[in-house]
Amino acid sequence: MKKTVLTLLTALSLSSTASFAAYPDKDIQGIIQWGAGGSTDTVMRSIAPHVEKLLGTDIILTNKTGGVGAIATKYVYAKRADGYTLLMGAENPQMYKVLGLGKIDYSDMIPIDILARGTPIIVANSNAPYNNMEEFLDYLHNHPDQVKIGSTGKGGMTSLVLAMLKSQTKMNYISIPYNGDGPALTAIQSGAIDVMPAVLGAAIEQVKAGRMKVIGLIDNEPNKLLPNIKPVTDTLPGMKKYLPWGPFFGVFVKKGTPKVAVEKLQTAFHKAALNPDFIKLMDKRGYSILNISGKKARNFLDSYRSTSSWLAYEGGVAKISPAKFGIPKP
Amino acid sequence: MDALSYFATSWVSPELFGLTALGTFLGIYIGAIPGLSVTMAVSILISFTFSWDVNNALCLMVGVYMGGVYGGSRTAILLNIPGAPSAIATALDGYPLAQKGLAGEAIGLSTVMSVIGGFVGIIVLALAAPTVSKFAITFQPRDYMMLGILGITLVGSLSGGSLAKGIFAGALGLLVGTVGLDPMTAQERFTFGDVNLWNGINPVAVMIGMFGVGEALHQLHYMDKTVVKQKINRILPKLSDLKKYLPLSLQSSLLGVIIGALPGTGGDIAALMAYDHAKRITKNPKVPFGEGAKEGLIAPESANNAAVGGAYIPMLTLGIPGDAVTAVFIGALFIHGLNPGPLLLTEQPHMFWFTVGNLTLSNIFVLIFGLTGIKIFSKIVECPKGILIPIIFLLSIVGSYAINNSIVDIWWMLAFGILGYFMRLYRFPVGPVILGVILSSLTDQNWRRAILSERGDLGPFFAHIFTSPLSTVLFLAIVWIFFTQTPIWTKMLKPRLFRKKSST
Amino acid sequence: MSSPSLRKPGEVVFSLLLVVFSLFVFWQAYKIAGFSSMSSAGAFPMAASFAMLLSSCFIFVKTLRTPKAQGMRFFYHCLPPVVAFIMAIILIYAVLLNSVGFTLTSFAFLFICIQTLHRRSPFYTFALSLITLIVVYIVFRLIFQVVLPEGIVPEDRVIAVIKSLWS
Repeated sequence: MKKTVLTLLTALSLSSTASFAAYPDKDIQGIIQWGAGGSTDTVMRSIAPHVEKLLGTDIILTNKTGGVGAIATKYVYAKRADGYTLLMGAENPQMYKVLGLGKIDYSDMIPIDILARGTPIIVANSNAPYNNMEEFLDYLHNHPDQVKIGSTGKGGMTSLVLAMLKSQTKMNYISIPYNGDGPALTAIQSGAIDVMPAVLGAAIEQVKAGRMKVIGLIDNEPNKLLPNIKPVTDTLPGMKKYLPWGPFFGVFVKKGTPKVAVEKLQTAFHKAALNPDFIKLMDKRGYSILNISGKKARNFLDSYRSTSSWLAYEGGVAKISPAKFGIPKP
Repeated sequence: MDALSYFATSWVSPELFGLTALGTFLGIYIGAIPGLSVTMAVSILISFTFSWDVNNALCLMVGVYMGGVYGGSRTAILLNIPGAPSAIATALDGYPLAQKGLAGEAIGLSTVMSVIGGFVGIIVLALAAPTVSKFAITFQPRDYMMLGILGITLVGSLSGGSLAKGIFAGALGLLVGTVGLDPMTAQERFTFGDVNLWNGINPVAVMIGMFGVGEALHQLHYMDKTVVKQKINRILPKLSDLKKYLPLSLQSSLLGVIIGALPGTGGDIAALMAYDHAKRITKNPKVPFGEGAKEGLIAPESANNAAVGGAYIPMLTLGIPGDAVTAVFIGALFIHGLNPGPLLLTEQPHMFWFTVGNLTLSNIFVLIFGLTGIKIFSKIVECPKGILIPIIFLLSIVGSYAINNSIVDIWWMLAFGILGYFMRLYRFPVGPVILGVILSSLTDQNWRRAILSERGDLGPFFAHIFTSPLSTVLFLAIVWIFFTQTPIWTKMLKPRLFRKKSST
Repeated sequence: MSSPSLRKPGEVVFSLLLVVFSLFVFWQAYKIAGFSSMSSAGAFPMAASFAMLLSSCFIFVKTLRTPKAQGMRFFYHCLPPVVAFIMAIILIYAVLLNSVGFTLTSFAFLFICIQTLHRRSPFYTFALSLITLIVVYIVFRLIFQVVLPEGIVPEDRVIAVIKSLWS
């Protein structure tokens, strides 16, 4: 009994005089912005064990969903900047300001590692009478207000891809919103919708099985997983200014976290992302590994924010001008 | 022959056998504690079993899933607190049985019926997976919407004494289900500008509040009453009972498989629909529904376990999750280097029979663990109320916090607990509230999708119902149930109309 | 239990509150999108709250018509002091949980509740509360890794120290 009391007392005194040289000397909490089973969740749960080994401490992963990730972002921001609370998120916070969803985005956080980026594609029901972007746009022009296009809510990846396309050509279609790409991809197979923008990784297995087809690749160069699909810039050269662009996954800590902790985390995540298991997993899901931190990550984040914010604003998705927050035009 | 050896993989390896047993055992107790969900347990297991062999990991997770779906019935019967939303219907007649001192028999019966349901689910999965998945994927938004409406008509059978009170409770539930950012247009609904409300009010928080805290507060009235002594000499249900209820159990199971196989609906809706089905086909129950009818216990328990096999059908054949747990399973398969999707069965043919074998084994363990722990478990009810009630409060609070690690969920749980207390006091049924919350988004979103698909025109919307046989059947089912079964017609409108006719 | 055909004290007020609440949510639902379209975000909430409004009015009128139960007092039969007291304790617990932390508040909560409801010696209650809390803590925090609010107790440090003793 006496011994436990003593250890507890030491523990208490430790907490007040903790030195950061010893970082990490307790469990780290990882807050995942999205729910269990989602793509962010899968990516984070597959990298965390590698990082745990490198840091020699446990990472307790917690899903904290809500407000398109804003609840998790706010939660981490409200915690002490000591490197013991990580935000494991996707691209969403970069749009919070213009969508009026929150005042914090990744410019208020330090990127530990931007792990990977997804490639947007456009998929269609296998029986659709068009097979590539040109045919699709022709069909759309000849059949206005007939094609049902699925989307996944305001400010999401799908709405931004549609905003990009709309900035290049006239499009009249029926928009059918879904709450997530999972249900929407199911709806494409049942014929409830005809076409939708999706992330390559989420649709690839269904495409391989012939349950839906890819009609467009929203990138400026061909993808090795889709050898027969021409990049969209071949049809719409105007799209070049936006690309490459795509949703991403990253790990962040609050601004003000001690340098020692940030550097230790950055090294650990960088090494973990080089693990062949992780690389194999990301390749298979069709994500391009970035594994960047520091200045490179900051540039990536800024460029994503300015492209997306202005797209959303000019496409009428966002009501607040990005200029108000000092977000430069791309 | 290959199929058989894959099927037996987890039966012959002592390691896999043991892990399945362990998983099932853990699952039963995870399922029994409100707030600890199977989804949560399985996602923790993903990190935990990261470095394991994929078969070992799957055995443990399948066990937890199967056991967890069953386990929710335990606390529903003993304490009137469903361990999971799929056990809500179980509480309606299970708890009255426990109050009569028949907890042992109720648990025994629910265990056997769960296992029967589980087997029906597995058999359908094994023999008809491609057919069922082809059928499940043809469901259009309007079909989902009609399924939701069919579910809402259940308010009639859940409302007990006063239909008006039932309708109020059901509508309140539907309304609560719409709170938050509208997932389709991102418009705020009833959020009053508060970010914490964007994700809506969690159904589990409502459930724990209404059933857990509401019930526990109500129990405070009867503190001085001695606790009901539980007769636990009979655990295995009578053979005559089994024979009598087998047809109902099989019907409910088939309903469960189909609802489970539909992407977007799961065991919770299946169990409630099965309860309603039981109530409709049982013309003269020995004990009225809501007061401990065995039919009301059997139907939901068979259905929710059958839904497990059902949920695996689209997952294994198409890579589409049938419910929240199978969504996490798909993530787990990815992490273990497999490609869940329509090609899984051609690329990894052993996966299918391995899973079927594993589910079967786990289902057998549900039977074993389900029937052995009853004596100790039933003692919970005999624990002095002065100790039990504070513990229920604590578990309710921690449980609702655990759903999403958020204090806000505790507040909602408490608010619905106090509301539930007064609703009970003034004889409002609380079941329809949960029913409404569960069905709200399904009905709301698919209604709007269906209307949007027709560009806002109601004419073609109704016309198209009759172009698809599935929609026609669902539509006729709604019409039939509405006019023959719901008290709105039989008790309120019909007598009035007929009286009018006779007077003129 | 009183006969179901009689009106309990407070029932009229409760059903009136339901009418008022239904009116309020109906108005809120209307504000979402008005009568703009059948597929608007507000259509379904409006339908639900309209059903609430209709049924609550019906309930209110019916309640008024039922005869009053004799000899029942609200604070004795409907909200006895013990229920009100426990409700208050739970509310205080929920308020303090985040700032003071899970371990301390939960212990105090269990101790007070069990002592009030079970009335045994404080030592017995103390031991019982402690054991319950430890079991709940192990199940939720250690096994299921639900990070409960830490508040003023530096639990993570304690866990780290205990872990280091282990290895």
